[in-house]
Amino acid sequence: MDKIIEVRNLRREYIRKKGIRNKETIVAVDGISFEVGRGEIFGLLGQNGAGKTTTIKMLTTLLAPTAGECKVLGFDCFGEEEKIRNKINFIFGGETGVYRRLTARENLRYFSNLYMLNSSKQKERIDEILELVDLKNRADDLAETFSKGMIQRLQIARGLINDPEIIFMDEPTVGLDPVGARMLRNIIIKLKEQGKTVLLTTHYLQEAEELCDKMVIMKDGRIVKSGVPSEIKGGYVTLEDAYIDLVGGQVS
Amino acid sequence: MKKIVVIYESMLVQMRQSFVRPMFKFCLFFNPIISTILLYEMYINSGETNYFAYVVLGSGLMGLWGCICFSSAGDINRERHSGTLAIIYTAPVSFREIVVGKIMGNTILSIFSFVMSLLVAKILFHIEIDIKNPFYFLFSFVATIVVFVIIATIVAFLLMLSRKTELYMNCIEVPLIMLSGFVFPVDLLPKPLQLFSRLIPSTYAVELLRITACGIEDINNFWNKVVLLTGISLLYVLGARLLYRIIDKRVRIKGNLNVV
Repeated sequence: MDKIIEVRNLRREYIRKKGIRNKETIVAVDGISFEVGRGEIFGLLGQNGAGKTTTIKMLTTLLAPTAGECKVLGFDCFGEEEKIRNKINFIFGGETGVYRRLTARENLRYFSNLYMLNSSKQKERIDEILELVDLKNRADDLAETFSKGMIQRLQIARGLINDPEIIFMDEPTVGLDPVGARMLRNIIIKLKEQGKTVLLTTHYLQEAEELCDKMVIMKDGRIVKSGVPSEIKGGYVTLEDAYIDLVGGQVS
Repeated sequence: MKKIVVIYESMLVQMRQSFVRPMFKFCLFFNPIISTILLYEMYINSGETNYFAYVVLGSGLMGLWGCICFSSAGDINRERHSGTLAIIYTAPVSFREIVVGKIMGNTILSIFSFVMSLLVAKILFHIEIDIKNPFYFLFSFVATIVVFVIIATIVAFLLMLSRKTELYMNCIEVPLIMLSGFVFPVDLLPKPLQLFSRLIPSTYAVELLRITACGIEDINNFWNKVVLLTGISLLYVLGARLLYRIIDKRVRIKGNLNVV
């Protein structure tokens, strides 16, 4: 299978100030390696602070790696980002990532301009995506009047505006109601059917099991296990039991 | 063509967003009123009779700069907190064009602070709006706007490096007003500070506005200042390009684009 994301010995450190003079080095990602094939749904799982978001930030060209290799579509995420950016997009969970004082349509119009969509295709694409995330009847309302779930759906629409080859989703279902979460899962499945690649982080293990072709479990910046969901589960009945065992909790 | 679309669309989005913010409205409407009244009171017994050149221009420029400074610099932080900074930064178009578009949007709105100063001066104090060389004044006004956009762009780039943008923009607002001679000629400043003033393009832009408002006595002096303004502004543009290249790498190494 065509490898679309390649991560080798990737490391990312942060410098944190401690007092006035002292500094402390925090290792957020500590020499991880994995590959993602074209058309796969790949899960990055782990506790808060495990390094999942930092990994996604490096892959989406937002952060420079401290060491190691981080390639998307064969290009370096730091140095060749211009060749990557129009082919990817990302969705971070929560209520951020949209302009609240613009309408849903205005938001999408602006972001489609930033992704250089042809004006002839723009309207069609915006309508199509608004329909997909079930916001068509609120398209001309200000985002600040939206509920939490609606803002998140608008963010999902924004993340799909450029019809990306790879979509990075960092806890995209956080705060979504069950209907919204199901809608997003259906969108992810639909994206896979279209041949898109999705890299996903989530704390909902059932969701990960349902969606992911492959996954890695991270702990303290390192990968503690990788493989298809059945491999991760090993002898445990559920993925949750296996996960808790791997990240150092206790399975009752 | 795509660059123009990005600048234009960013400008429109920025205007929509800025105009609804209470702080921006304060800077746009109330700040020029207060500044005009205060400056008029300061100048009334100073012996200076050209109130337009000092009171109206001074308060108008202060309002204009205040809006640009607080909005353009503050917008980086607002974008950071709303989670859109990372998105617009990693968009395939250049982030530089987005920033320029945003600053242009704020600048166009900010011109209204000039109108407010003019209205207050005329209605409250019956100040005569007598511009001796209107064509050259208009030219100088456009040059001033361009210079403000250039300076605000550099400030916005620099503030990408830090999350303490509110602190820094408060630190830069008043010094630029003083050093550029918005409310009094820079010749009144101590000599060492005048050296700094001469390195800031807005100093020449303000001088051009005053010269053209009061009437050009020496056309060579006017053109000399235009040449100096152009030269220093070009150096600032080159500096901004270089700075952006450095900052573009630096923010990703330091990880400054998100709130956490």
